[in-house]
Amino acid sequence: MRTRYLRGIGLMVALASGLLLSCGDKEPASQPASGKKLFGVVFQTMNNPFFVDLNAGMLEVIQSHGDELVTLDSQFNSLKQKNDISDLILKGVSALFINPVNWEGIKGSLLQAKEKGVPSIVVDAPVKDDELVLCQVASDNVEAGRLAARALQKVRPDAQIVILHHSVNKACIDRVEGFKEELAKFPEMRILDIQEGHGTTEGGRPVMRDLLGRFPEINAVFPINDPSALGAISALESAGKLKDVTVVSVDGSPEAIAAIKAGKLHSTSAQSPREIGRVAAEKAYDFLAGKPVDKT
Amino acid sequence: MNDNDASPVIFLRRIFPLLVAMAALLGIFQVWVPNFLSAANMIDLAQQISVNAILAFGMTLTILIGGIDLSVGAVIALVGTVTVAILSLGGGEPQTFFQFMVALFSGLGVALLFGGFNGICASKTGIPPFIITLATMQVARGCALRFNEGRPMPVPDSQQLYLSLGNGRLFEFLPVPVVIMLIIFVAMALLLHKTQFGRHLFAIGGNRTAAWLSGIPLLRRETVVYMICAVLAGVAGMIHSAQLYSAEPASGAGFELNAIAAVVVGGTSFTGGIGSMHGTLLGAVIIGILDKGLNQAGVHFSLQYVTKGVVILGAVYLDVLRQRKG
Repeated sequence: MRTRYLRGIGLMVALASGLLLSCGDKEPASQPASGKKLFGVVFQTMNNPFFVDLNAGMLEVIQSHGDELVTLDSQFNSLKQKNDISDLILKGVSALFINPVNWEGIKGSLLQAKEKGVPSIVVDAPVKDDELVLCQVASDNVEAGRLAARALQKVRPDAQIVILHHSVNKACIDRVEGFKEELAKFPEMRILDIQEGHGTTEGGRPVMRDLLGRFPEINAVFPINDPSALGAISALESAGKLKDVTVVSVDGSPEAIAAIKAGKLHSTSAQSPREIGRVAAEKAYDFLAGKPVDKT
Repeated sequence: MNDNDASPVIFLRRIFPLLVAMAALLGIFQVWVPNFLSAANMIDLAQQISVNAILAFGMTLTILIGGIDLSVGAVIALVGTVTVAILSLGGGEPQTFFQFMVALFSGLGVALLFGGFNGICASKTGIPPFIITLATMQVARGCALRFNEGRPMPVPDSQQLYLSLGNGRLFEFLPVPVVIMLIIFVAMALLLHKTQFGRHLFAIGGNRTAAWLSGIPLLRRETVVYMICAVLAGVAGMIHSAQLYSAEPASGAGFELNAIAAVVVGGTSFTGGIGSMHGTLLGAVIIGILDKGLNQAGVHFSLQYVTKGVVILGAVYLDVLRQRKG
């Protein structure tokens, strides 16, 4: 009985190793046989219209060359992002576009891409180890934060502000930095608290509701991006406080513009995700054509 | 009587469909994706599933005794942050082996604390393990978020030994996480299928009252099961943070669900009493192949979720059908 059991295991092992050996040491082809180039992009989340638009901009350029783009969604999960990236690298993409979940944690993936000779281009949110990447294409998030602060100052010079942060993301860290920097010029404007809203509508809503309970004097919110602004607006509406509180955001998504038209959102410092996507894709083609590419 | 390894025929019959499913998936993706079966891609697959497989090994034990552990995802984050916090003490000084060991054991100690608490509560209070571990999940997550205001903490570059847990390669070939996964697999398979302790777990999962009446020390067995589960989550947390070069207090959310998926696809019964470590390993492999294959085939990510859901449901339904027959 016992030996049969062991033989069963032996068979399993033989089967598994046979699979490994029979396919030998072939390296993955660097390009699909058809001669089409393949590109991959990994977004921290696709639950934000900003990235959907960015992807569309990229797709526009890549399809105009007759090439292919694979888009993957990391769902704010750094480990999934790492796995997604290594799948794309081993599939043999010509270039990789990365929108990191964790601007430090992405290092392992960047090292892997570099080792395999795949150029990586960082889009929207920067990475810490920028010497590992070909270039970073992002809007100036510090400036976006400053613009939001200035817009707020014009309507609420005495603003009592709360911030809904998304603190693992460098782009959001920069926005808050710029926002605070600008606020420092206006001592009457005060930040009551900074809470984690995770940059999503469903994350922003409950946090905003709690903040309203804690600080009745709130009259302004900086929710760092449009999805979380929509969450804040929904919390303000249900508390009947939308009239007394000014919401300023960053992104410029169609949903946010609709909210501005409806008088719910004061302003959103527009960034142009489509343009970021387009520029990033063009940089990849420049590099593959052997042209020099600037770091930023 | 119970579903132990007493009968290798039953054992093989249980494992065989999983092997077929695995081979079929590998075949499909090899046709669909050129070079899917290349050595580099397969080693990468092993590396990708390592964290989930290690979690799933522990989860198998808890599900086998009729329990569950939802706190493992949060424990991953907590152990990662505790360990990296200790490694970061003393700034950029070169690492000492002593500091490495202190960090390692503090991390695992925290995991043991949570596991022990889960186990004692599950055994003694009569609160369902689902609720207990749902609560400790919140506690562990909260503790993790206390570190560094919830922001990721980088692992200092001087801690090469720790970083190699996630990124090193044995003989320049086999990734260290895979080696750790295989060692844990062998140890857990022996523990579950070759010891009295393992037989007791099958008995507890089969019929808890009968197990108690036949003199099996329920409290001790159940506590140890939850402790093993938490410690394995701790090991996974260390690998995870080393792979990411940083400990993320917010990471690990939802990892428990992936581990549970591997366990049930691997044929462990959700009501306890039936299951095997081999099945769980194959379950983790199958889910890994699916993730990798769909990614590399360029399937839109929305359809990937749908496919994964359908496969999990189908695999478990087939298993249910087979058990009804046999």
